[in-house]
Amino acid sequence: MLEVRGLTIRTGAETLVEDLSLSLAEGSLTCLIGPSGCGKSSVVKWLAGVLAPELQAKGDALIDGSTAIFPHRDIAYQPQQDTLFPWLTAAENACLGLEIGGMERRAARDRVDALFPTFGLEGHEESFPDQLSGGMRQRAAFLRTIVQDARVLLLDEPFSALDAVTRLCMQDWLVARLAERPRAVLMVTHDLYEATQMADRVLVMAGGPGRIIADIPISTPSAERSETALAEIRSSLKLMLLKEIP
Amino acid sequence: MTSVRYLFPSLVLLAAFLAIWEGYVALTDVSSLVLPAPSDVLNGLWVERYVIARHTLATLGVALVGFSLSVIFAFVVSILLHFSGWLRRGMMPLLVASQTVPIVALAPLMVLWFGFGLLPKVLLVILVTFFPMVVSLTSGYASLPRAFRDQLVSMGATRWVIFRRAALPSARAQFFSGLRISATYAIVATIFAEYAGARRGLGIYILAAKNNFRADLVLSAVFVSACLTLVLLTVIKGIKRMTRRRYRRENNA
Ligand SMILES: Nc1ncnc2c1ncn2[C@@H]1O[C@H](COP(=O)(O)OP(=O)(O)OP(=O)(O)O)[C@@H](O)[C@H]1O
Ligand SMILES: [Mg+2]
Repeated sequence: MLEVRGLTIRTGAETLVEDLSLSLAEGSLTCLIGPSGCGKSSVVKWLAGVLAPELQAKGDALIDGSTAIFPHRDIAYQPQQDTLFPWLTAAENACLGLEIGGMERRAARDRVDALFPTFGLEGHEESFPDQLSGGMRQRAAFLRTIVQDARVLLLDEPFSALDAVTRLCMQDWLVARLAERPRAVLMVTHDLYEATQMADRVLVMAGGPGRIIADIPISTPSAERSETALAEIRSSLKLMLLKEIP
Repeated sequence: MTSVRYLFPSLVLLAAFLAIWEGYVALTDVSSLVLPAPSDVLNGLWVERYVIARHTLATLGVALVGFSLSVIFAFVVSILLHFSGWLRRGMMPLLVASQTVPIVALAPLMVLWFGFGLLPKVLLVILVTFFPMVVSLTSGYASLPRAFRDQLVSMGATRWVIFRRAALPSARAQFFSGLRISATYAIVATIFAEYAGARRGLGIYILAAKNNFRADLVLSAVFVSACLTLVLLTVIKGIKRMTRRRYRRENNA
């Protein structure tokens, strides 16, 4: 559904990402995993159309076979940092993408309100972000991303600000939310447990310059993803990542 | 009650200062032409209350017109500067330079060029109060976190939408600090302008009182102008509080 071919990203002097290709299939959750600084966010930002202007990117992207220009209507992006606007309520924040996409305020609000219970935020429509717990804030951010109904979701380390327990709960919860309709999801993480728990496919990225060194499908159904079932894949991923750290 | 506790140290210091002043005048019998006691100043204020009130209203009117225009003007200019890097680079140094011009020199020139009416005074108030607001607004817009901007761009927002939905709200706190700085200058600038030439206003009143060797009335007028500035600052504080979205929500709910 989304295909990237030969993506190269460079600053004036150095190459951050070199000749990277990847494709995302509809109904799949692909995790992009790699050491810090290898260029994961840069790839995702390019797909979201928000790569820093001082970086030059070269490469082709196709959506359903035709050339895509970013930012693209079919792509929703959730940055690595928390971007809930502190001056808007949770519901207003959630409406943002819809309103900017041209939906009328009332209609956007109805659509968002309908989703609040599923996202465990019922009764917090009028709360401001600093009145929510970390987990709730993260769910509000997911709500804002998912409600846009884009066919491709780009999630950059969505759990990095959460504590370990909240994180575990949210992983399964997010998989369930994402499965509610077919979409192609690219999720960046540096946590191989998270990646193997959630993804149908893991892309391993190495740095200097950033490139994909392995493409590992995980076919174990989510219900059967126990420690033992995933042990082998996790240890091979771990070896691969450790080798890449200089 | 909290505001009383907050102001208490200032009130104590002020009372001590006035007491020492009063005592000094009483003990040394310095001429009241040179140094009137605080009680003389208050007495002068009371005797002249109608005259002073009339001049105060004139000053307040000019200051409010000038200050309001200045706020509007500051918003317009800050938006232009925000959207045009060329203008920003071109105008910022000129704006900074404009702040180095002493008003003492400028006020009489303004009167010379524009006469005794409202215009020269309003222009002077704008010139003095406009700069802190423009600076605080532009740096407020620039304080928008990169990721917020990226979030909106990825949603397909135009530059104007990004400005209105993110840059402008994130400049709120800085705008109000600029507004406070400007407000402290607004009354002083008006009085300066009046000093250089006016038919009415505290500035011209002070000038006349000085020429009549009425130091007590000069100080009465100074006291009134200080009060005006404090009132203006309090009003701004109130506006800041009442326009806070959370405050509005909690009080409408
Ligand atoms: N605007 C920029 N100008 C110059 N170099 C940059 C810029 N943005 C990122 N980089 C460099 O590009 C490299 C990749 O950055 P990126 O943020 O994509 O890494 P990442 O894999 O997402 O890391 P992390 O896991 O820490 O989020 C880093 O070495 C970074 O220093
Ligand atoms: Mg990153």
